[in-house]
Amino acid sequence: MIEINKLNKSYAGKTVVDIQHLVINKGETIGLVGNNGAGKTTLFRMLLDLIRPDHGEILSNGNNVGTSDEWKHYTASYLDEGFLIDYLTPEEYFIFIGGLHQMSVADVQEHLKQYIEFFNGEILDSGKYIRDFSKGNQNKIGIASALIQKPELLILDEPFANLDPTTQIRLKTHIKLLKARMLTTLISSHDLNHITDVCDRIILFEKGKVIKDVYTNENTLNELEDYFSK
Amino acid sequence: MLLTFLNHQWTGFWRSKSKSGTIAAQLVIGFLVLYIIAVSILVGYSMGEIIEKFFPGKEIMTVFNGLILYYYAIEFLIRMQIQELPTLAVVPYLHLNIPKQKLVNFLNVSAIFSAFNILPIFLFFPFIIMNVRVEYSLFACIGYLVTILSLTVFSNYAALYIKRISTGNMKIVLAGLFVLLIVGGLEYFHIFSITSISNIIFQTIASYPLTAILFIALATFIFLTNARYLKRNLYIEELKSSIEKKSSTDYPFLDRFGEAGTLVALEIKLILRNRRPRATVSKGLIFLFYGFLFYQKGIMESNQFGKMLFSAVFMTGNMILLYGQFMFGWQGAEFDGLLANNINIRIFFKAKLLMLTLSASVLTLITSLYGLLSWKLVLIQLSAYLYNIGIGVIIVLYFATRNYKYIDLKKGTNFNWQGVGASTMLMSLPILLIPYLIYLPLSVLINPYCGLGCIAIVGIAGLCARKYWLQMLVDAFNKRKYKIAAGFREQS
Repeated sequence: MIEINKLNKSYAGKTVVDIQHLVINKGETIGLVGNNGAGKTTLFRMLLDLIRPDHGEILSNGNNVGTSDEWKHYTASYLDEGFLIDYLTPEEYFIFIGGLHQMSVADVQEHLKQYIEFFNGEILDSGKYIRDFSKGNQNKIGIASALIQKPELLILDEPFANLDPTTQIRLKTHIKLLKARMLTTLISSHDLNHITDVCDRIILFEKGKVIKDVYTNENTLNELEDYFSK
Repeated sequence: MLLTFLNHQWTGFWRSKSKSGTIAAQLVIGFLVLYIIAVSILVGYSMGEIIEKFFPGKEIMTVFNGLILYYYAIEFLIRMQIQELPTLAVVPYLHLNIPKQKLVNFLNVSAIFSAFNILPIFLFFPFIIMNVRVEYSLFACIGYLVTILSLTVFSNYAALYIKRISTGNMKIVLAGLFVLLIVGGLEYFHIFSITSISNIIFQTIASYPLTAILFIALATFIFLTNARYLKRNLYIEELKSSIEKKSSTDYPFLDRFGEAGTLVALEIKLILRNRRPRATVSKGLIFLFYGFLFYQKGIMESNQFGKMLFSAVFMTGNMILLYGQFMFGWQGAEFDGLLANNINIRIFFKAKLLMLTLSASVLTLITSLYGLLSWKLVLIQLSAYLYNIGIGVIIVLYFATRNYKYIDLKKGTNFNWQGVGASTMLMSLPILLIPYLIYLPLSVLINPYCGLGCIAIVGIAGLCARKYWLQMLVDAFNKRKYKIAAGFREQS
C-alpha cells in the first residue's frame, strides 16, 4: 500500500524524520508510538503531502504522493482541528466531505446512522457550529468525517486524545471492525494500552528514526513500557 | 482594583503576540486622533467665521444650533462602526473574588476613555463659551455646555448598548439600517430635518437653560440601562456570542456549478458566519457610494472617462480587491484539511474565480443604478466589470499564492492589519493602474469611447483565456503550497 524510501526532513539543521525504507501492507493496522518530537505528525503530514520532504519519496499504491493526486481518492485522514471547517455545523461538514467523494446528502445521512452511538447524542442536531464544540467532540467529528469517506487508507493522529473513556472503547471496537474489511490504518497514540490492543504492527520512533518495528504479541506492551520508562 | 485592571491591560498590550503590529496600528491611530483633535480645536475656535463663510447671510446662532444634533447623528454612525466593545477583557476575572459591580464599573469607566468623547469638547466648547454668553446669557451658556456633555455621554453609552444587544443579532442590525435609511430619506426630501429639530432644542435651552436637566436625565438613564444590562449578562457565553440555534443551510442555485459550486457555498458560509470577512464585505458595500463622489455632471458631459474609471473599477471589483487580497488566508485555519481532502486544486481555483466573478456581477448590477444619472456610466462600469472578471481576478489570485499569512476570522476589520503584507499592498496597484494604461493613450489619440471599448476587449480576451490562466494559477500554487500551508500553521 505504502512504500517509503530514504525519507528525510529536517528543520533548522535538526532531523525530524529519517526513514531509510518502510513498507506498509494492505490491511495492516499500524500504531506509531514515540515521545513528543519523534516525528510522527511530521511523517503523517508528509504522507498527506502537506509538508515537502527534503529527500526521498513516499509511494502510495505506486504513485508518489507529492506529484500525483491519485491518493486523495482513497485516503482519509484526521490530524488536528486544522482539518475541520469550524464555521460549519457538523451536518454541513459531513455533507461537504461526503460530497467530495460523490456521496449524496442521503448517502451521508445513511452512513452517519452507524455513528449515532459513537456520537453519544451530542453531535448531530446540536444547533452549534463546529467551533463551539469541546475538543473531545471536535475530535469525534473529525474522526467520523474521515470514516464516512469509506477510505482504503485511514490516517489518524492521536485519535484517543480528549475522548471520554466510553468513546475510546467504541473507537477501538470500530477500528478492529474496519480491519476485517481490509482497511489499512495508521494511527499514532501515547496510550500504549490502546495501541497495542488495536494494532497488529507497532512502529516505535525516536528522533525521526524507526527504532522498533514489530508485529504485536503478548510481550509488546511490556517491551514498550520498558522502553518508555528507561 | 480599577488600577490593577488598567495595569493588566497595559501589560497585556505590551506583551501581545503581534506586538509590533498592534503598536504600529496604535501609533497610526494615535496620530490620526491627534490630527483630528488639532483640527477640532482650530475649527472650534474659528467656528463663527467658518459658519459665516459657508452659510453667508444666515444667522450664525441658527446655523450652529442646527449643526449640533447633525454632528451627533453622524458621530453616532461612526461610533457604531469603529468604537470597540471593551468586554472580553473581563473574562479571566469573572470567577475570582471580585464583586460583579466592580467589573461592570471597570467596563463602564474604561468606555469613557475614547477619542470620541473629547472631540465635542474641543469642537463646541470654545464657540459656546465665546458666543452663547454674549448672545444669550451666562445660564444659557452653562445649559449648552451641560447639554453637550450629556449628549456625548448619551451617544457613547447608547452606541455601546446597541452594539452589545446586537452582537450576532442580525435582526437588530437590519432594523437599525432600515431606520437609518428612513431618517436619511426624510432628511433628503426635506420632510423632516435633524437641523430644524436641533435648532428648536437649542433655542429652548437658550431661553430656558434649566431644560438641560432633561439631557442629564437622558444620559443617566442610558448609562444605568447599560450598566444593568452588563450586570445581568456578565457570563462568558453571553459575552462571546449569541446563543441562538445554528441551523444548516445550503444554496441550491450553486449546485449547477458542480464541485466548484460546493466550494463557493462553503466560502459564502465563511463570509456570513465569521466576523472579519463579514465586516470586510459589508465595508465593500459602503464603497458603492463612491460614485456620488466621482461621477460629476461636468465630467460626464465632457466624456472625461478617465476621471471616473477608478471608481468604476473599484466599485465593480471591490470584493475582488478587498476580499481577494487575503484569498487563502481566510481559510488558513482549515487549510491542511482542504489540502488533504479529495479536492482537486484546479476545481479549488475554479471555485475562487467563480465566487469573485459572481461578486463582481452582483456589484455591477447594483451599480448599474448609476445609469439613471447617465447612460455613459453604464458603459464605463460594464467595461470595468469585464476587465475585473477577465484580468483583475487573475492578478488577485496570483498574488494570493504569495501570501502566507493566517487571518483570525474572529477579529474586526478596523485598523486590523493582520495578514497585510507587501504582496497585498502591491497587488492593488496593477489592478487599478492597468485600465489607465489601456485607456489613456487610446482616449488621447482616438477618442474616449475607443479607450473604454479596448478595456472591455482586454477583459473579454482575459475571460476567453481563462483555461490558460487557471493552469498558470494551479502551477504557481503547487510550487508554493507547502510554504502557504506552513505559514498558516503558525497562526500568529
